[in-house]
Amino acid sequence: MENLGYLLAAYTVIWAVVFGYILYVQRKQRRLQRQIDMLKESADK
Amino acid sequence: MNGNHTLRNSILWGLGFALMVAALCMVFVYVPTEKHTGIIQRIFYFHVPVAWVSFLAFFITFLSSILYLWKREIKWDAIACASVEVGVIFTTLVLITGPIWAKPVWGIWWTWDARLTTSLVLWLIYIAYLLVRSFATEPARAARYSAVIGIVGFIDVPIVFITVNLWRTQHPTAIIFEGGLTPPMLMTLLVCIAAFTVLYILLVIQSAGLKTMEADIKRLRSMKAE
Amino acid sequence: MNKTFTKIFAIFWKDMLTELRTKEIIVSVLVFALLVLVIFGFTFGAGLEVTEMVAPGILWVALTFGGVIGLNRIFAVEKENSRLEGLMLCPVDRAVIYWGKLAGSFTFMLAVAFVITPIFLALFNLPIFLPRLALIIILATLGFAAVGTLFSALAVNTRARDIMLPVLFLPVVVPVIVSAVKATGPVLAGGPWGDMLTWLQILIAFDIIYLVVATLVFEFVVEE
Repeated sequence: MENLGYLLAAYTVIWAVVFGYILYVQRKQRRLQRQIDMLKESADK
Repeated sequence: MNGNHTLRNSILWGLGFALMVAALCMVFVYVPTEKHTGIIQRIFYFHVPVAWVSFLAFFITFLSSILYLWKREIKWDAIACASVEVGVIFTTLVLITGPIWAKPVWGIWWTWDARLTTSLVLWLIYIAYLLVRSFATEPARAARYSAVIGIVGFIDVPIVFITVNLWRTQHPTAIIFEGGLTPPMLMTLLVCIAAFTVLYILLVIQSAGLKTMEADIKRLRSMKAE
Repeated sequence: MNKTFTKIFAIFWKDMLTELRTKEIIVSVLVFALLVLVIFGFTFGAGLEVTEMVAPGILWVALTFGGVIGLNRIFAVEKENSRLEGLMLCPVDRAVIYWGKLAGSFTFMLAVAFVITPIFLALFNLPIFLPRLALIIILATLGFAAVGTLFSALAVNTRARDIMLPVLFLPVVVPVIVSAVKATGPVLAGGPWGDMLTWLQILIAFDIIYLVVATLVFEFVVEE
């Protein structure tokens, strides 16, 4: 089972980066949604 | 978003999730350990699909860039840019997992081999793509400029590969494929490639959707300001 | 055909005249490239055993970085004096503008290279008269100019344009740099033609591919 550390590191990095990107996209989506809501509100006035 | 899109997205997310779970199970439970390099060879099942996806991503960017310059529809620009974003992230992963695999197997982190160097140059080109996009002075310009870089950058790939290959090469494939790829290994690799391709499609759809949304908001804002 | 050539020449000649009066680009690039050579001389100590290994690299780093500085100016001078709009209003095909500008940047870079290279050869005690090196320089400079003129036009309209050009230009011309360095090695060592022919072929292929691609996409960069 030598090199298990390397293997673990590789898979951790892959998942960390992929989830990091998904999180980034989600946050951006929320931010844009808020902007849309604001635009809607101001349009209704 | 209409119902059709939501349904398609749910199916894709489901498929992606199932494939990813299957891929992980196959990598860690099903596939036998490779004789020569040992347990570390299991990186290969994620490293290769990630590399494949990054090339696919830049190819999609190349095509959508041409389509954008031709049709001038914002959708193609959104896809091209989203694809570069995902491609750069995946190339980063290739560049990180590569050395992690190389260190225990070759005893070195990095070698200026054709594949490694080409990936590095690719990464630099598309980082420049993203930089130009964020530094361009207006959205229409950003779209045109990045389309040009998307085309020029992709045409550069084979030239870089040929040059660096002549320059110096140390074949990593020869070491990975020593003793050939047994059927269970091939199966695992194929499932992993499928899983990552679906993940790529999902991320691009999501990210491209956001880019179109962003452009719409900007347009609405400027209309409101007038 | 003949008319196209006349138009290209007109744009080229305009750049030459401006440069002859101001000497802005050539002088600054020359001084910069010379400085790179001198700094390398200090850092490597210019010992004889080191020279053979690093000399080709030193020459091409100096020419590449000098080239970036020069290419940056090619469109920046137009932009600063608001002449870019005038140039774009010319009733000619955009590809003609590209080739005119390309001819200008190629000439400037070549002029600098032909001054810098003998100085380099003398500083590092290498044979001065090397016709084969001239061939390499012409082909590599053409490659630099082909890609650089396109990206220079692109970078000039971005914020932080001085940094955008090298960031874009350098990774794309990696094949040119590698081939030029590899071809220069045997020439400096007085080796046979065989070693450098492969690299010359790559340089020629790169030049042709990028001249064609850049001609095709240039119009999208400058359309306003």
